[in-house]
Amino acid sequence: MIGENMKEKTVQFLESIVIVAIILVLIQTFLEDFSVLAGWSWNIRKTLVITGFCFDLFFTIEFLTRLFSSLTNRKGLEYIVFGKGWIDFMASVPLLMFNSGPSLLAVMAGGALFPGVGGFLNVLKVAKAIRIARVLRLLRVLKIFKQIKYADSVMAQRHIAKVTTLAITVFVLTSFLINLLSRPLNIFSAEMQFNEKYNRVADYISENIRGDDTGAFDELLNIEEGLLVIKDGGKTIFSRYDNSFYRREFGPADYQYTERGSLGFFFDSRDLLKLQSRDNIIFFTVVVILVIILLVYYSPHFAITVTDPIHVMRRGLKEKSYNLEVKVPDRYRDDDIFQMATLYNEVFLPLKDRSRAEEGGGDLELKIEDIKDIF
Amino acid sequence: MALEEQKSTAFIVRLLKNPALHGFTPLQKEEHILQFLSQNSSQLYPTLSSSNFFPNKNWDQIWSLLTKTLFTEINKEMLPALKSIIEEKLDFTFVSFLRQQNYPFTKLKEELYNFISALLEKPELRRAYTGPLTALWVDFTEKYIDQVFVRREYIHFELTKVQRLKMSREEIKNMIDASILLRPAVFILSAIESAGAVESVSGLVQPHFVDKVFKVLKKKLPFLPDELLRSSLNSNVSFIENRFLEATARLTAIFTGRCRTFNPHTKTDRGADTPDKSWFSIARRNYRFYGYDIKILDELYKISAENDW
Repeated sequence: MIGENMKEKTVQFLESIVIVAIILVLIQTFLEDFSVLAGWSWNIRKTLVITGFCFDLFFTIEFLTRLFSSLTNRKGLEYIVFGKGWIDFMASVPLLMFNSGPSLLAVMAGGALFPGVGGFLNVLKVAKAIRIARVLRLLRVLKIFKQIKYADSVMAQRHIAKVTTLAITVFVLTSFLINLLSRPLNIFSAEMQFNEKYNRVADYISENIRGDDTGAFDELLNIEEGLLVIKDGGKTIFSRYDNSFYRREFGPADYQYTERGSLGFFFDSRDLLKLQSRDNIIFFTVVVILVIILLVYYSPHFAITVTDPIHVMRRGLKEKSYNLEVKVPDRYRDDDIFQMATLYNEVFLPLKDRSRAEEGGGDLELKIEDIKDIF
Repeated sequence: MALEEQKSTAFIVRLLKNPALHGFTPLQKEEHILQFLSQNSSQLYPTLSSSNFFPNKNWDQIWSLLTKTLFTEINKEMLPALKSIIEEKLDFTFVSFLRQQNYPFTKLKEELYNFISALLEKPELRRAYTGPLTALWVDFTEKYIDQVFVRREYIHFELTKVQRLKMSREEIKNMIDASILLRPAVFILSAIESAGAVESVSGLVQPHFVDKVFKVLKKKLPFLPDELLRSSLNSNVSFIENRFLEATARLTAIFTGRCRTFNPHTKTDRGADTPDKSWFSIARRNYRFYGYDIKILDELYKISAENDW
């Protein structure tokens, strides 16, 4: 008994930690995008990237623990399908593998100055491509949503949770898929526009400008503001800013790299990231507003039109002394539930009242359990 | 014997202190405890007949002991409250409007208190007093009659024009309260004398029975005007059978009926109508059964709906 209580308390404690982590990760997700949009320095953004990785790792461990526990109880399928295990999975493993994991790798491998290693750049490209997976983090809202006790009725809780899960999942996954498919389907995007522009600049420079032409480099400063560095055979032949500026302001994902023969070009991609962060903040805001609307507007509506009348009728049927009528709002009078409530008010309660008058007495307010200590 | 009384008192006090009875008036509590003892007798008897409580007694003897103690304990709370209602709350100046002779109010109140406290010694009359004493306890008349005078519709017309109560609003309220207080006096006659005249389910009595009781009551309470005694006794007659019942009698019947189960601490569930509104709505559908005036119920229903009572 004591062991069970201890286990229950431990589980409750761990669940509380998960809830706190969910709230924190939502704040972290918002701040990570906001920091890009606001142009915060790389040091601050780097901290947010690392914390993002820690959260994703935490939630991956949480998912694996829950999965292991349900599998040992032979309830793996139940957990994944009905226990919202799929949300636990979608909001943890893919993010760790395709977003925060590669981002952390990039930070650790090339946090200082521009990397000269080609292999690393491939990792970076993958991380950038899957950056859109960040939107999956918003699915975690659903995990915190189910903790909110917005209605007394279990039915109301289940229905509202289902509607919310459906709405948010459809929104998040649709946004994710549209972003994911925009590249292979060649749908016009800001990223494509940036790439095309930088390729044109790289082509022009490789074809028209020689390495010792200092006048031409001055011209380059004006032609393309996004051009940061040109290297020829590993040697820097042009740089817009000094190294301390790059160290302070640029992270591994803040630039794009392309090669033309012996020339390597580094372009500023912070504007592109700002556009992506703006989109993420819009997604975040939409999801938060969606949850608020469902909680503040739909949940009471569901209670008023479905569960409250049922609750009142159930008590009236069950308890001898309970004789409150169901409140029937005029605008919902024709609803099935309120037609039934009208019958309850107009037929059942008067009959019950007369029956009670014949039988006498009502519900016992006192229970034998109240004085069981004397037995 | 004294030890048994002590044990009985301890047991009853324990039940009275139960939080589930919070908010109920003394007679409502008494009704709940009697119901509890009656419905759980089979479970209570083995314990209560053990050496710890009342050994060698059968259930009837235990029941008798416990109810006697219960009445004593309830009286400790109820009789001072009754005295306070009669002496401080009720104003009998309306009596002067109904009869042109003065009777000392102090003496009137004292004799009325003695009369009612004597009635309350009979268990069956205690049950009949649950509704009336609750109505007076919670000031039920006050809020509705105030609204009746604001609206000046059917009830106001019946009181002032049909019954011709040429008195102030406060005096009318006091007359209704006094009528409520005396309503159970209809059961003053013994069960044999009232055989066949009292409808067992609705509690309504035949008009000819009221005439019989009136004569008895008139002798016992000569200082009270006939109009008040008639109003009290007629509140037990169905309005369907006698369309000439006084408005105060019709209101007395409805207010006491409402207050029989009234609990000021009732929590209204979300999605449910308020307690008074629900009660009046049900009463409107059962008005024939209880002999209520449907038009009065309609107006009281509207008042409760408008005021969220």
